[in-house]
Amino acid sequence: MASRVLVHCVRSVRLLQHSGGVLKSASRRSLSLVSFRQPSTWISPVSSPALQLCRQYCDSRPLTLQSIEERVMNVLNLYDKIKPETLESSSHFMKDLGLDSLDQVEIIMAMEDEFGFEIPDTEAEKLMTPAEVVQYIARKKDVNQ
Amino acid sequence: MAAPSRTQVLALYRMLLKESNKFPSYNYRTYTLRRVRDAFRENRNVEDPKVLEQLLNKAQDNLAIIQRQVAIGKLYEVQRTVVESQPKKFF
Repeated sequence: MASRVLVHCVRSVRLLQHSGGVLKSASRRSLSLVSFRQPSTWISPVSSPALQLCRQYCDSRPLTLQSIEERVMNVLNLYDKIKPETLESSSHFMKDLGLDSLDQVEIIMAMEDEFGFEIPDTEAEKLMTPAEVVQYIARKKDVNQ
Repeated sequence: MAAPSRTQVLALYRMLLKESNKFPSYNYRTYTLRRVRDAFRENRNVEDPKVLEQLLNKAQDNLAIIQRQVAIGKLYEVQRTVVESQPKKFF
């Protein structure tokens, strides 16, 4: 729609330029209307798809202990062998939640996916409660509050 | 050779899952993930060191197969199926 209007205005401007200076004020008005609606198209040759391709750089939100805990608990709630009702931040994966060591490996992998960094095997096998996982991630990411 | 230790088995399990996750094709990926999980659960109570070693060797071979097939799968990538979510964005 906008492009159609634009084409129409360009045509009318050309016509007006051909016809002479009497109607110049009218052409200017339509021109200003167009430029008000679509400044980028009128002023510079940059088209809108190119503008949309521009990548916006930004950092992820700073982590806090609370947000880490929320995300950890969310991941654990989504894990199908854990019942959300029995889950607490201090519950032991194997003793309280009845998981085995294979499940624990899968949980740690899910945490890696969630937080986007790798947890080495030697450290991973020590993480047995959600609280420990939160603490470990906070230490790795330098989060103190 | 001594019986494979617990950490060794767990490390292998982790590697297998990680490699399987790399399959570009949805069908192969979900199948291998399911198969790896089931196979490890199936043999969780095996105590006999000989059988254990056999199973571990089998797992190693399968890991190599998966790695190879992932590489091949990436050469011939197909369109994502509808059931798959959008590709993961970085943060």
